[in-house]
Amino acid sequence: MEEWKQKKVLIVEDELEIRNMIDGFLRKEGFSRIFHAGSCKEALEICASDKPDIAILDVMLPDGDGFGLLTSIRRFSQIPVIFLSARGEDEDRLLGLGLGADDYIVKPFLPRELVLRLLVILRRVYAPPQIDRLPVFQLGDSTIDLEAAIVTRDHHEYALTAKEHALLRKLYENRGRIVTSDALCQSVWGDDYYGYENTLMVHMRRIREKIEPCPSTPEFLLTVRGLGYKLLVKEEL
Amino acid sequence: MDGAARILRRYTGASILIAVFLLIVNYIILGTFVFKGMNEGSPPIHVTQAVAEGLHKNGSHYTLEPNAQEWLQKSQAWAMLIGNDGKVIWDYAIPNELPRTYSLAEVAQLSRNYLQDYPVFVWEHELGLVVVGYPKDSLAKYQFHFPISWISDLPYRLLALLFGNILLAALLSLFIGSRLIRAIRPLISEIHALSEDQHTHVEAKGMFSGIARSINHASSLLQKKNALLKARDEARSNWIAGISHDIRTPLSMVLGYASELEESDAVPYEQQQKASIIRKQGEKLRSLVSDLNLVSMLEYEMQPIHTKPIRLSTLARQIVTDFLNNDLAETFTIELDVTTEQCFVMGDEKLLVRAITNLIQNSIVHNPSGCHIHVQTALSPNQRNALLIITDNGKGIEPSMLPDLVELPYSSKRKSPLQNGHGLGLPMVARIAAAHHGHLLLTSDTGKGMTAELCFPLSS
Repeated sequence: MEEWKQKKVLIVEDELEIRNMIDGFLRKEGFSRIFHAGSCKEALEICASDKPDIAILDVMLPDGDGFGLLTSIRRFSQIPVIFLSARGEDEDRLLGLGLGADDYIVKPFLPRELVLRLLVILRRVYAPPQIDRLPVFQLGDSTIDLEAAIVTRDHHEYALTAKEHALLRKLYENRGRIVTSDALCQSVWGDDYYGYENTLMVHMRRIREKIEPCPSTPEFLLTVRGLGYKLLVKEEL
Repeated sequence: MDGAARILRRYTGASILIAVFLLIVNYIILGTFVFKGMNEGSPPIHVTQAVAEGLHKNGSHYTLEPNAQEWLQKSQAWAMLIGNDGKVIWDYAIPNELPRTYSLAEVAQLSRNYLQDYPVFVWEHELGLVVVGYPKDSLAKYQFHFPISWISDLPYRLLALLFGNILLAALLSLFIGSRLIRAIRPLISEIHALSEDQHTHVEAKGMFSGIARSINHASSLLQKKNALLKARDEARSNWIAGISHDIRTPLSMVLGYASELEESDAVPYEQQQKASIIRKQGEKLRSLVSDLNLVSMLEYEMQPIHTKPIRLSTLARQIVTDFLNNDLAETFTIELDVTTEQCFVMGDEKLLVRAITNLIQNSIVHNPSGCHIHVQTALSPNQRNALLIITDNGKGIEPSMLPDLVELPYSSKRKSPLQNGHGLGLPMVARIAAAHHGHLLLTSDTGKGMTAELCFPLSS
């Protein structure tokens, strides 16, 4: 995690107090290479001289707006950009994201949220290319290997079908939370999922037969009546 | 445009009706007049016949029946009987200047026309020819001769005359009517435009120039008022948007530093709690500011709505699930009841989520000791609307207070001041429903919980 904090961050914000506040939070989080700009002109100069790794842009600036600034920056740099604006209307957000911003945060914001989003983007953009491996996790006596699509229980191996695999993956991504049957159907059958509710139930039963010691009284894959399903994961490998 | 056509149709129809009516009335009056004139008193030919039949010869003496004699007197007529030899063998009140002997040629003459300017009528009698004469200048005698073919064609001619009259009436009324319509048509379209709030201008000329000027004036007045209203609404909405915007930056700092203090280990626990209160209140302010902005835009119809078909049951499932996933307090239970999956509405997903979430949130906020919340999606009884019904078994509210709940706080329509909360929640729901051509119906009573029913038109 720490290597992300060596990245150069540019804060473009005309309000000195907000700039200092963000600066303070970032330094507290461990960032040390922080550049400030109060206008589009300054921001472009810093971009040219110091080559920041990520920029936080305000939309309203004394000599233009952040959207125009982003367009100018994009002419010579592909650095990730987060908009931080008091303008929260849909059109502004769509415009900002449409111009190629990586995120759009509406003021007032929680500093923790800004830092977390910043880190997520840094990690995604600057992470060394690595093969994403799907998780392996434990459900009671069963070991579920999503990468290999295999459930191991009592020295038996049960292969997961493609649909079962997709459903389990979706449930695992939202473990401990209810996933609506609509969301599950959509993740497997796409937007034209309507009418697959009964098929979903059949698939859920098959999954239970593979992962539950007693499929008729499930412990891990619970039905939430009328809403959807919930995967309870107690321990992780 | 169809207004003008309708007027023309009505006008032409009425004109034709009037024309036909006049025609018939005239025929009747003419007929009765003529025939009455013909039959006035006793028709001469009848008198003549009566005289011929009432004249009898007793030996060498002639007697006339009294009623025939009476008729002659009444008509101031005279009578004579011309014998077969041309001599007058009987007479009654015959003027002296008339000859007493007639040649064949004279008889032929008088049988058709006049006898020395006396209109005369003849009838045959067993002894000769009865002649009845009327006073000079009292009757006009005409004789008509028609070819038989003309007489047999007469019904067709009369019919053709009638139809010709009707056709002429129709054409004339159509002509006059269309001239009228041509003058009125611009006025009509102008009035239509007025009712649809569009601006048009009609040339002020012809017989309706006064009306045209009035309409033009009304139109421009309306336009001006609309523009003024729109400008005012826009100014108000912009003002609120501006304030919301200006509050966001200072609020960022309040929230930012408060949450920093709250999380800082260097700060004593008690101060952390105070910072936490500042942060929570700041978050309330944040939601107020964004609600305020949305409500003002909905109020002045400035919210662009991005609609798409949305399945209500999917939306409801997602929202209920979100409440359950986000640590709903244990004192609250929430249950979803989907009576039909086939309930699609055209809507803005974000706004609909906001409305439904607000309603559930409302039940939670106003029943701090907990309640059961029942969410139902259904079709309306007439199958034309989609319903989303949220019922709680909480403490409810007096029915008289319900209308207030959907009015904006501090608005003049609100009877009693705010109780708690910032009061934008339910007004916002009502306005979101209205923006979707639907409505919000609230029913409640003290101690009986609250039912909120959102009703939207079904998407086809």
